[in-house]
Amino acid sequence: MNLTRRNFLAWAGLSAVGAVACEGFGIREGEFSLQSPVSLPEDLVRGKDNWYATLCRTCPSSEGIVVRVMEGRAKKIQGNPLYPTNQGKQSARCEGGLQAMYHPERLAGPMRRSGGRGSGQFEPLDWPAALDIFKVQLQQNGDNMLMVTEPLRGHMAKLVDRFAKAMGGKHLAFDGMDNIAYRAAVKNVFQQDSLPDFDIANTNFLLSFGADFLSTWVSPTRWAVGYGEFRQGEGRERGTFYQVDSRFSTTAASADQWVPIKPGWEGYLALSLAYVIISEGLQAPGVDVSALTDGRGVGALDAFRPEVAGARIGLPDHLRGETPTEFIQNLAREFAGHRPSLAIGGGSAGAHTNGLFNLEAIYALNYLVGSVGAEGGVRFNPAPPIDDLPASADVASLSDWFSAAEDLNGGRTKLVVVHQADPAHGLPGALNFRDALNRDDLFIVSLSPFIDDTSALADLILPDRVALEDWGSDIPEPGPGYQTLGVQQPVVNPLSDLDPRSSADVLLAMAGELGKQSDLPWNRFEDMLRETSKQLFDLNRGSIKAGSADEFWTTMLQQGGWWDENAKAAVPLDTPAGLFNKIAAKAAEPRYPGLAPGRDTFHLVPFSHISLLDGQNAHLPWLQAVPDPITTVAWQTWLEINDGDAERMGLREGDVVMVSSTASSSIRVPVYPHPGVPPKVVSIPLGQGRRDGPETATDRPAAESSNVMDILEPSQVEGTGALAWANTTVTIIPTGTSIKVSKFEGIVRAIEVGNTEAERIIITEIPGEH
Amino acid sequence: MVIDLDRCTGCQACVVACQAENNLPVNTKDLFLQRRAYEWIRIERYWEGEFPDVKARFIPIMCQHCENAPCEPVCPVFATYHNDEGLNVQIYNRCVGTRYCANNCPYQVRFFNYWEPVWPERLRNQLNPDVTVRSRGIMEKCTFCVQRIRRAEVTIERRERATLDHAAMKKRNFLPACVSACPTNALNFGDQLDATGPVKEIFDDVNDHPMHEAHDRKTRGYRLLEEIGTKPNLLYLKKVDRFPLNKSEAHVS
Repeated sequence: MNLTRRNFLAWAGLSAVGAVACEGFGIREGEFSLQSPVSLPEDLVRGKDNWYATLCRTCPSSEGIVVRVMEGRAKKIQGNPLYPTNQGKQSARCEGGLQAMYHPERLAGPMRRSGGRGSGQFEPLDWPAALDIFKVQLQQNGDNMLMVTEPLRGHMAKLVDRFAKAMGGKHLAFDGMDNIAYRAAVKNVFQQDSLPDFDIANTNFLLSFGADFLSTWVSPTRWAVGYGEFRQGEGRERGTFYQVDSRFSTTAASADQWVPIKPGWEGYLALSLAYVIISEGLQAPGVDVSALTDGRGVGALDAFRPEVAGARIGLPDHLRGETPTEFIQNLAREFAGHRPSLAIGGGSAGAHTNGLFNLEAIYALNYLVGSVGAEGGVRFNPAPPIDDLPASADVASLSDWFSAAEDLNGGRTKLVVVHQADPAHGLPGALNFRDALNRDDLFIVSLSPFIDDTSALADLILPDRVALEDWGSDIPEPGPGYQTLGVQQPVVNPLSDLDPRSSADVLLAMAGELGKQSDLPWNRFEDMLRETSKQLFDLNRGSIKAGSADEFWTTMLQQGGWWDENAKAAVPLDTPAGLFNKIAAKAAEPRYPGLAPGRDTFHLVPFSHISLLDGQNAHLPWLQAVPDPITTVAWQTWLEINDGDAERMGLREGDVVMVSSTASSSIRVPVYPHPGVPPKVVSIPLGQGRRDGPETATDRPAAESSNVMDILEPSQVEGTGALAWANTTVTIIPTGTSIKVSKFEGIVRAIEVGNTEAERIIITEIPGEH
Repeated sequence: MVIDLDRCTGCQACVVACQAENNLPVNTKDLFLQRRAYEWIRIERYWEGEFPDVKARFIPIMCQHCENAPCEPVCPVFATYHNDEGLNVQIYNRCVGTRYCANNCPYQVRFFNYWEPVWPERLRNQLNPDVTVRSRGIMEKCTFCVQRIRRAEVTIERRERATLDHAAMKKRNFLPACVSACPTNALNFGDQLDATGPVKEIFDDVNDHPMHEAHDRKTRGYRLLEEIGTKPNLLYLKKVDRFPLNKSEAHVS
């Protein structure tokens, strides 16, 4: 054959197509079809796709999701449009659920420790043998058992609580950045047991203190949906948003005005705003100021006059050209004058010794503007539809962990059962919890599908199914303002080379074998859910119309849950008498243990990583690769420092510094200077610094992946026992070494903003111009 | 598509949704360090000002699907062309990797596979069978999730003989992955001729008032780098800020 141009092209084309299709990627022939300009699209892909509703478990807010399943494989996760809280939307974290399922380093089956504790040496064994070991341990040491789980709601919470009680042991739920102080403030200010929702979509003026509610705080997806409407919803005026925060968070970046404040002084600002509102008579019509202040009026808040508070709370001298006093006065006038207005607080504002006071002062503002239980304000949730289903995640406080560590060290705890929680990584280093677990007279059972710092110390690992393969339920907290029960169903089976077993089923089986049927009378977790489904069917109301209990169950699985839009919370709330007096009497400055704030020290404000959160997602490659919105850093820890401070210390991006507090050790972190950090404040994200586990979490040198929890002072939010995680003062010493920062910024040629008309890519206008 | 910068919070939900839908390889740390990490849709962050008067601005940037696309005429093998729906399409098995198109793209949204994409064995189960995996030496970019549009056309128009309007696209999960993920609804997608959709009014307004008449526009719509005349099929709605740092710099119409 002559090698003509035509022949050459034909052969080259054929062989290239063949190679790519058959073995280019080591993928089964036909697994992927090449995009072809001649074939019809429906010819290209074999199989039919189905979308199944279930719940996402990569963040504590448990969004309702739908999962696309083709030929027994889950392909894509999207928000469930029917689900009341996230309304079809999702966060960057949700997609991570797929990678948890198909993660290359998922544990295949039960394993027993074969080397020294923490050596990482395990040998596989079969399920009957593994369960026998677990049973014997429960028999012998059940009454000296400590169960550690992730924060739980719904059926799993009920099951674990009953299991721990039946065995005679204790149950603690672990959350790296707990909401204990926030919960206590809600209880004290609104007399509510469950966390409230915020009607951001209908608010005109939003004032947030420290709450990173568009990124990681409590229920970010739900509130982001509301935020979109708040900004540009049809038929409404664009809302105004102030973020008071000691750190320039993703949420602060979206605010019209970021108000930097000295860490821990948020409560003083809130009461100062209350002072202006009361003294100028700006409260909403019908608000009984006299009752709120026990008849003392503005006198109750005299200590918080803007002239006094403004000088103490560390506002910049000329924010928008106003003095601190003027700024507070103008902010109070705006806040009270653009109703409905809403004040929310959380995150770092509640993570100081005086965190409870800060949050109470912030939420009390809502009474002055009439936003409690009103449209555009704080919205409360009713009790759950089924009585004995926990609707709030009861999380252990720092003082609980201290006593748990004491019990471990004193040999009083003999058995630890860990379910998808990693206290060895996530508790402050000063607790030495890792050492407390590292004892020979202790037996540790891990139910985690992955190795993490705690599982690495385990004697026995019984890998759980991941969320997309397992049953479950959730009562979202906060709910959407009416009764809601989300249902999680297995959308696919585990791959054939994996042999995980649902932890809920394992616990039920153990309870059965140990004769605890009276406490846990179910054979399988699914039975428990079906029983609830029957109870809901008998209620005969809500989102599902069904002729039989079976039809009800199927519909509930199809929709992803059950909800009743009419079952709302009673709008309660008499004006709490003397609320402001009580809060003002509690007023306290933040106290910093350890290093005194001074010239060479910095306040450390840690924060929850946008995709890794407190580290629970650190093993998921997509979520490691998500660039932080502010710094664009991925795969590494970093320290945010003001660019002026950095220049003064001769630090440039990537320079590694040693960060030390008086608590236990120090960590090494590369710096990322930027103009949004307040001077004398530094921030480090949580999430990195795992010592054991999949490569995606652990394959970086210590300076790139350090754990900020290691250096936090173990101080508590007074009155709650919660960890005051924003309460540490640190020194920063350059180490002289430098690394390359792994960041997205600079990979594509950026076009500078605003130098010339042509170079401006983000065009900004002032509201009302159109 | 229309992107409302006033709704965008920079949360990255669109970025991960796109990676999951379109079989983008995981951006490893090495790829970031080599400056070869890529995202079909990315969130750019710009700083304005200095502490305390400081702002960070976010803008999601993806292929603008230009009407006068600078990437198209430079491709020697016609791997990139304009289809009859106005999409700027890349035919992977025509591409020979000259990278002329990326060189000519003013928006920096075309990405070259410098390496063979690698997934751990088990993670391949998650790959979307509707989307080709691109091999080393191939240029790739945002497709507006053309596979979803195709499925919509096949399912709704051809099989069910129904009208494919915005409501059907949304209800049946055929909107691009980024649009369906976006929590704040900053991203909107539709046919520019579909009066029931969210984008027609804005496109009409911007098309009726070209750049030299921009002050007559009734919406906040504008095109990115409008002055270079690429005529993108993606519009942005201006960011609104009550307190822009320098009022003279803010756009006042």
